[in-house]
Amino acid sequence: MTATARPLPVPSAWSAGYWQAAAERRFVVQECKSCDKAIMYPKRVCPHCLGENLGWRVSAGRGEIYAVTAQLAGPPTGFADHLPYVIAVIRLDEGVQLMSNIVGDGALGARIGDRVVVDFEEVEGTVLPVFRLDAGAETRDA
Amino acid sequence: MQKTKAAAVGIGEVPSGRFPERSELEAAILACRDAILDAGLSPRDIDVVMPVGALASRHFNVDLVFSRLCEELGMLRSAKMNVQVMSGGATSSSMLAVAEGLVAGGLARNVLCVHSDAVGSLPKQAGIDLFSTTGVSEEWEAPYGHNMNAVGALASNRYMHETETTEEELAAVCVSLRKWAELNPHAMFRTPLTIEEVLASRMIATPLRAKHCNMLADGAAAFIVARAEDAPHITSTPVYVRGHGSLVTHYTVSQDTDLARLGFEQAAAEAYAKSGIGPESIQLAQIYDAYPVWPLITLDGLKLCRGERAGAFVAAGETAPGGSLPMTTNGGMLSQGHTAVGGGIAVLVEGFRQLMGKAGPRQVANLVNAVETASGGTWMDSHVTVLSREH
Repeated sequence: MTATARPLPVPSAWSAGYWQAAAERRFVVQECKSCDKAIMYPKRVCPHCLGENLGWRVSAGRGEIYAVTAQLAGPPTGFADHLPYVIAVIRLDEGVQLMSNIVGDGALGARIGDRVVVDFEEVEGTVLPVFRLDAGAETRDA
Repeated sequence: MQKTKAAAVGIGEVPSGRFPERSELEAAILACRDAILDAGLSPRDIDVVMPVGALASRHFNVDLVFSRLCEELGMLRSAKMNVQVMSGGATSSSMLAVAEGLVAGGLARNVLCVHSDAVGSLPKQAGIDLFSTTGVSEEWEAPYGHNMNAVGALASNRYMHETETTEEELAAVCVSLRKWAELNPHAMFRTPLTIEEVLASRMIATPLRAKHCNMLADGAAAFIVARAEDAPHITSTPVYVRGHGSLVTHYTVSQDTDLARLGFEQAAAEAYAKSGIGPESIQLAQIYDAYPVWPLITLDGLKLCRGERAGAFVAAGETAPGGSLPMTTNGGMLSQGHTAVGGGIAVLVEGFRQLMGKAGPRQVANLVNAVETASGGTWMDSHVTVLSREH
């Protein structure tokens, strides 16, 4: 990686399944098969029961925006060419949260409570789950 | 209510700002020297040295870990232990709690706590990148361009959504802090600031503009903690540690489930109960800032605004000089400068300074009780400590 490259995830032994699924454009959430809880971010042991019987749950990748910001200046190294970009904390319908980018139509106007749906973006060979505003959900709400 | 076990008996500090000719080591030595002299102690009265983790230079931090300050300050073969304490921006509170525990448990008599760092002299992009790795997950968040300004922005977005706080009210926090900094010769920024100037500055990460964001600075500060029963024999101006409360809420900001409140309500309830001093008796709030939203969240959680919304309370001038609740009278990280972990140490040392009656032109009159707060990383934890001139 060069000094100006965008940072990319380096999977751990217990997160590799998440990134492998993303590479196949599937979105999964870790689950504990002992206590049936959804876990984000993927963990080595279940933070609820400390069990090791962990697996993956296929997720529809839908949820809503809990907090959001549009980065317009002062980005970390590797992101100067991507300005403006939108960072959000997303609360998935599974009840767990994660950070991602909001991309696509209307992203710069994304607001708390907006419904979002997962999409995938390839960055230098790595596929990152990102989210788009869920136009279908807006229609249903209206 | 708990028995009071510890007190601060001396303080030292060097000016914050950009001082490329002043090494971190020099700043640390001078801050420690001043704290020892302020307490009227000899270096050989110090039995534990507690240096905070430094971020800008690994080499300097290794020196701190391996007793360099004991050698520089004449404590060889008298100091019993040199131990680093580090919880990021929360270290002011957590280090004070550790020192309190050591003196209360009979493991130490006089603990020298010191912070020095030189993040202000880092190249600008290096500073941004350094703080894009503090509490930011390399695997889960850095790939999305996350950074410290975005942390402040996400919390501001959520807090404004839940409380109807305005951009003007966020700016009012910066203005209140600047008014205090105008009176502080150690502050990095001392020229008057207006709400209009804040709102006219460049947008960085919505809703935060450039002047809503702190500036990295070089700085150093130190204080000495002694046993409560020894304190009045050491100094005529001891500041007693009356009660501490805290709660860890997350590592990465994306995992916090109540970003508009964090853990300050619980931390404050614990600190008030332990100290026997409630919000109605607090006359000075030394609140960890870094971004304007955090003092607002903290003021709410500590119930210091007489039932008002924190944003309206600050916008009405209540926290500025002449207001009913002086807040962060050194100017905080937004005006004294963000010296990495030391931004919080400076806020705590200012609390001691005020309670010792040594704050000069910004001295709060008739001061008895104050509260200090802190938080580390991406506001991973909420700390509240009640301090008092009274035992």
